[in-house]
Amino acid sequence: MKEPLIQNETFVKIAAPMVVGVFFLLFWQIAVVAFEMPKYILPGPIEIMKSLVTDWSTLLNALMMTLKITLLAFVIAVVLGVAASLLFIQSKWIELSLFPYAVLLQVTPVVAIAPLIIIWVDDTTWALTVCAVIIAIFPIISNTTLGLRSVDPNLLSMFRMYRTSRWQELVRLRIPGALPYFFGGLRISCGLALIGAVVAEFVAGTGGSKAGLAYLILQSGYNLQIPRMFAALVLITLTGIALFALMVWLSDRALRNWHESALEVEH
Amino acid sequence: MTSSSVTPLKPSTPDPTAEPTVQAGSTNGRPVLQVEGVNKIYANGTVALKGADLTVRQGEFVSLLGPSGCGKSTLLRIMAGLGDVTSGSIKFWEQEYNVVGDKGRKMAFVFQNATLMPWARVRKNVRLPLDLEHQSGPETEQKIDKALEMVGLSGFDNSFPRELSGGMQMRASIARAMVTEPNLLLMDEPFGALDEMTRNKLNDDVLKLWQKNGWTIVFVTHSVYEAVYLSSRVVVMAARPGRIVDDIKIDQPFPRNADFRVSTEFAGYCRQVSQALERASAMGAPQEKKA
Repeated sequence: MKEPLIQNETFVKIAAPMVVGVFFLLFWQIAVVAFEMPKYILPGPIEIMKSLVTDWSTLLNALMMTLKITLLAFVIAVVLGVAASLLFIQSKWIELSLFPYAVLLQVTPVVAIAPLIIIWVDDTTWALTVCAVIIAIFPIISNTTLGLRSVDPNLLSMFRMYRTSRWQELVRLRIPGALPYFFGGLRISCGLALIGAVVAEFVAGTGGSKAGLAYLILQSGYNLQIPRMFAALVLITLTGIALFALMVWLSDRALRNWHESALEVEH
Repeated sequence: MTSSSVTPLKPSTPDPTAEPTVQAGSTNGRPVLQVEGVNKIYANGTVALKGADLTVRQGEFVSLLGPSGCGKSTLLRIMAGLGDVTSGSIKFWEQEYNVVGDKGRKMAFVFQNATLMPWARVRKNVRLPLDLEHQSGPETEQKIDKALEMVGLSGFDNSFPRELSGGMQMRASIARAMVTEPNLLLMDEPFGALDEMTRNKLNDDVLKLWQKNGWTIVFVTHSVYEAVYLSSRVVVMAARPGRIVDDIKIDQPFPRNADFRVSTEFAGYCRQVSQALERASAMGAPQEKKA
């Protein structure tokens, strides 16, 4: 006997939020029409959809620019972050001396230093990338360092008993053990890279052929093209969700055989 | 009482690769491990071990038995070279101790928990010591097969540790210890976390392997019954300060089985060991108050 759809967990997991979303959009559209809301104040979902279609080429260009900066910053943050973590675990002294500066990087609002970076770095793309890296790197550093340090002390003893080199210890023990922490860092960091790219562009306010979604939002605001503003916002949100989903998928792929976070819960 | 365990050095030339056949449980084999006057004092002044003297001979099954804090695990870790001593010396095969990784002097350690790498399959976990020694080739694979077979884990090569029961994880841990064909096996309360049935089964299996392969085992436990059942010698320790207070030979033949558990001899030895433990704690009590 086939089980009814309503009892299928996967179906419910997807359908329930969908229903909420559809009702919300429906309510929004009805409200906009019922109160005769002008579209330069609050456009309805249909207007926004229309804008997504008619302005698609502009939006796509901007999206590609923002995506480029986000991914570039994310990759740099991962590389530099992991390198920093590997450096930190070499000695307690190095970590003690440098970690406060990593925290400093984290707590300084990027909006406050973005203007400086934009002055210092000539190329806009790189200036924005640097801002995004500053935001995205901290979760990678702190998570990976924690992971590399969280080694089963007995396993470590065993490695010591066999007079293992530090390199072997790192490759065979510390790095595999740090992976769950590292992937946790990736999940947070990918979203931050996107936020960094958008925020930096808001501050920079650069236009022209290299304009990203943030500039498009600014520009649409000046021109009262509010549906396009919403369309750009939708794209940013979708990008963020896609990046996060990608990280979850990557982490599940890498850890599914052994780590609790990736195991399927049995009922 | 501790003096009974101190044995003068024999002037024989140490040849670790030659392994004369020694009757399991024999007490006149060559000394594998000699702990002499070992003190261990922590930075905060806690005396973890005071004047520990102990000689473990080839083919012996020695249990270190005592209450928590008596330094039995500390002593075992020192034997494994996993901790410094404040003073005293440790000799392995009658040589000053600095030869952990050397060929022919191999020792293996089995921890309280299985201590497997959760990200690696059983086979990879078992081969770890060989990997760390950069061994490979068909001979290595045979060693791994043999170790897995001995602990009854053949066919579980590709399982991940989480897929195994606690007892099976412990078996994998033992296979990993055996794969280097150690002269000396150090076990730190290895089955403490397991249920009694699994524990008894594993104890019997370890005994069989010990007898069959002519191993030397030092086994830390806090169970009087386990110590008496398994050992050819029970070394009783007391806490505050951690020290050796008695050394009791369990003069019973191997193999031992369920019949031994219900025999009057078994009960007699258990009583003797328990009394030694009680005396030890009575000695420790006043000092505890002073501290």
